[in-house]
Amino acid sequence: MDFGAVLRETRGGRELPPPPAFAEPAADLAERARRALYEVADPEFPISIVDLGLVRGVEGDEEAGSVTVHLTFTATACPCMDFIQWDVRERLLELDGVLKVEIVTEWDPPWTTAAISVRGRKLLRSVGVVT
Amino acid sequence: MTDSGFRSAEDLPEGVSEHLGDLILALADNKRLLGIRYSDWLLGAPSVEAGIACSAMAQDEWGHARILYALLRDFGHDPAALEHERASGEYHSSELLDRDVGSWEEFLALNFLWDTALSVQFEMLAESRYEPIHYKVRKLLEEERFHFDHGQGWTARLLSAEGGRAALTEAFGAAWNACLCWFGPEDDPLIATLAAHGIVRRGAAGARARWLERVGPLAAETGLARDAGSGWVSTREPLWEGYLARRRRTAEGGPDEDSLARVRGDRNRELLMD
Repeated sequence: MDFGAVLRETRGGRELPPPPAFAEPAADLAERARRALYEVADPEFPISIVDLGLVRGVEGDEEAGSVTVHLTFTATACPCMDFIQWDVRERLLELDGVLKVEIVTEWDPPWTTAAISVRGRKLLRSVGVVT
Repeated sequence: MTDSGFRSAEDLPEGVSEHLGDLILALADNKRLLGIRYSDWLLGAPSVEAGIACSAMAQDEWGHARILYALLRDFGHDPAALEHERASGEYHSSELLDRDVGSWEEFLALNFLWDTALSVQFEMLAESRYEPIHYKVRKLLEEERFHFDHGQGWTARLLSAEGGRAALTEAFGAAWNACLCWFGPEDDPLIATLAAHGIVRRGAAGARARWLERVGPLAAETGLARDAGSGWVSTREPLWEGYLARRRRTAEGGPDEDSLARVRGDRNRELLMD
């Protein structure tokens, strides 16, 4: 069995809650990208990586068609780091005009549960996870 | 970070880059091997909880090693080659980690004494002017807090158990010199150069003193440390015979065949992805 191919070519079937409703259209590429990241799930919990507090910042360059995402992870040994990065790239490359995605990993300050959004806490509580 | 920080290895003064690269490689190799030693006890630890703790600590160590190997790209190394293609004699890990340890007491020498020695070296890097490591150390040390708690808790527990003190004294005694030597001789030019440029906070003697401050109170019960009033000191002088400065160990050799295959991930090669 070529597990590498399995991981590259298949996706998990878990559904995420819908992203928040935004009153205004996204003003620029960075905001479009940030909103799209609400559709990237944490592989262990059924919430987005934005709600989990993993996204530290998003920059966009409309002209170059590039997006830079500053990400952190819950632990240095998080076994899902590669999956999350693949999913981020895959989702952002689906956006109109995005040709390149760069991911910058940040460890300082360290992630804590304080980084989870209010919406994220509610979603986690609904599946029995107290933060 | 201040304006006087070094953003990459290229910016480091002459001579500093090589020394810092050696130190990071030693930390990475020790983390990777220590993770293997922790994983040896996923099954067979004295309690289910201890086995689970070993699993979590193994995972942490491999995470730290992964970050450190990746950092070595800045020093001109190929992280993949470092992780998967070296021979045993090229590892900069401690002789304490060369092979599986046979008892829980020996395991505790690794968990309490050795893991703390590595953490103290990271403490020395916490305010480093070399920014790429500075920004990673806080996270590493935060995760290491639990390793210390585990080692400390179990050490205290065995010290209070019948027969535990004698077994711990023997195991700690066997590991003690390697721990003392890990920080380098007092006049170690490698560490002195790094300290002079603000890469590490304190020189070899200062780091060793900090380690004794952390492990001394319990190690004293095995006769290896004592409170000198002004701080904790070792009751034994470090023995430097055979000390290899770049590899920061006191014996030639390296991980045994089984450890090497595991540490390089030989059996996992088919699962490696681009």
